[in-house]
Amino acid sequence: MAILTAKATLAQAHPNPPRRQPGGPIRYVAPAFILIAIFFIVPVVMLLLRSVLEPTPGLENYATLFGSTTYLRVFINTFLVAGIVTLAAVVIGFPVAWLLVVIPRKWSALCLAVIVLSMWTNLLTRTYAWMVLLQHTGVINKVLMALGLIDHPLSLVNNITGVCVGMVYIMLPFIILPLMGVLKAIDPSTLRAAALCGANKWQCFHRVLLPLSLPGVAAGALMVFVMSLGYFVTPALLGGASSMMLAELIAQLVQSLLKWGLGGAAAFVLLVVTLGLYYVQLRFFNPYTKR
Amino acid sequence: MKITTIFALCALVASAPSMAADQSMVFTSWGGTTQDAQKSVWADGFSKASHITVLQDGPTDYGKIKAMVESGNVSWDVVDAEGDYAVKAGKDGMLEKLDFSVIDKSRLDPRFVTDYAVGSFYYSFVIGCNKDAVKACPKTWADLFNLKKFPGKRAFYKWSAPGVIEAALLADGVPADKLYPLDLDRAFKKLDTIKSSIVWWSSGAQSQQLLASAETPYGFFWNGRLTALSQTGVHVETSWDQNITAADMLVVPKGAKNKAAAMKFIAYATSPAAQAKFAELTGYAPINLDSPALMTKAVRDSLPDQQAATQVNTNLAYWAKHRDEIATRWYAWQAK
Repeated sequence: MAILTAKATLAQAHPNPPRRQPGGPIRYVAPAFILIAIFFIVPVVMLLLRSVLEPTPGLENYATLFGSTTYLRVFINTFLVAGIVTLAAVVIGFPVAWLLVVIPRKWSALCLAVIVLSMWTNLLTRTYAWMVLLQHTGVINKVLMALGLIDHPLSLVNNITGVCVGMVYIMLPFIILPLMGVLKAIDPSTLRAAALCGANKWQCFHRVLLPLSLPGVAAGALMVFVMSLGYFVTPALLGGASSMMLAELIAQLVQSLLKWGLGGAAAFVLLVVTLGLYYVQLRFFNPYTKR
Repeated sequence: MKITTIFALCALVASAPSMAADQSMVFTSWGGTTQDAQKSVWADGFSKASHITVLQDGPTDYGKIKAMVESGNVSWDVVDAEGDYAVKAGKDGMLEKLDFSVIDKSRLDPRFVTDYAVGSFYYSFVIGCNKDAVKACPKTWADLFNLKKFPGKRAFYKWSAPGVIEAALLADGVPADKLYPLDLDRAFKKLDTIKSSIVWWSSGAQSQQLLASAETPYGFFWNGRLTALSQTGVHVETSWDQNITAADMLVVPKGAKNKAAAMKFIAYATSPAAQAKFAELTGYAPINLDSPALMTKAVRDSLPDQQAATQVNTNLAYWAKHRDEIATRWYAWQAK
């Protein structure tokens, strides 16, 4: 699929494609393919095998996974958090991306640098920073109490709220950057044309800008959603015991309970969901096939 | 001339690891202030005495031990593990038998000696309280489980291990000598009463942060971490009432590559002087019965082994037997 797309774009770029070499492009991707085969495909297959072989052959692990209310709760938490994070990231990220496209270049470069720098800062540091901000004795609660807005500190961390806040912050660059690319490609004159035809600001946004940027929104949102599904560090640090997500469950099954079969089954479910979403992205939101 | 120097340097750099490989072993522990002390007292002292380099790794991860033993590629030689794990892993064939012709067990606390493991240090779970944050501190487990008398958040140990369940039962009025077999239904029922007020700590450093910031003004802590915290100037009150003891143990994973060095390391680490000095640095108790005589009175008085009058011992053999069953229930209850 990827090769086909590459070929298609190559053909677009060069009306006379370069002469075919024997073996074709396959031999160029061979090193990457071998690397992925050894370090990804083989271990994943072994994991899958463990999930149906340990402790006894059969689908017992999957039955346990889907039959228990505890694990069901973990699945619900995982999708709930990923959904909330995705939605919030889109709502917050869209205006930022739009702003970065329309403001003068030197300002947008500065803002972009801030966003990228925050992305490059150590993940643990940033997550711990949120812990300090959100806790009962943290800055946010202290300010709200000093202003007299609340009497008792709000529970902002060690629960699903903390996880969502921390993850939205971590995920924002991953939606802003692809959105910027899409928004930049929209011809500003389409908006001017809409305005000239009498559209108000809301109509300009809702009938012109949003539909044109929808493939970018969908692609970015899907990426954030998929990344959120398998996220570990932030939920582990900012979440409580009852807001456990799938990646934490897998770590617990593998490290603490030493139930590798069950851990493998949970990991496999996560992989299948992720691949399914990836297929959706390729099928419906691939910018290359749209063209 | 310059090139020769570079060559010589290269040769030196290249030969260094191979030289070390003849005479090195890997010690794995939990990181933080505890492993710092283990490195400076045990590993550095041992290296000086034996010329065997001790490389540090961590944190201890039972999943990794299992993976190493199963694949036959064991890169850890001595591991500091929780007592209940050590007892169970020995039975499950994950560990090497210890060589007691090298390790002198005659003066080691017999509570913490099996064929496969000897005590590393022992600790107490105690009630810690940040005196600056609250008017009154909880003194007993019943206090810590009393939301009316002591409102707000409290910190508890997150992982399934000997300790919290015992504390819940003691708080509910179970006599210390009737704890085992553990009444899990009763323990979880008691824990349910404070569940929404619990903040779980998963590492010693996190427990210190929670108490120092008064995010949880009180809770269930390792005694050594409280000692370390009060040394930094935080006003910590420790209640030793019914302090619950458990031990870490030193084990050698099955198939460890430097078995002989590992045995010598364990012999050194459990020697009276090494145990005494480690206790001095960490506030954890020595497992060598000759160590207390080597310490100053002030240090001796701050250690859990001086609190024997009110002490409650966890039953490591019971835990080793029921470890998986309790853990499964524990995590399911937490996630609820």
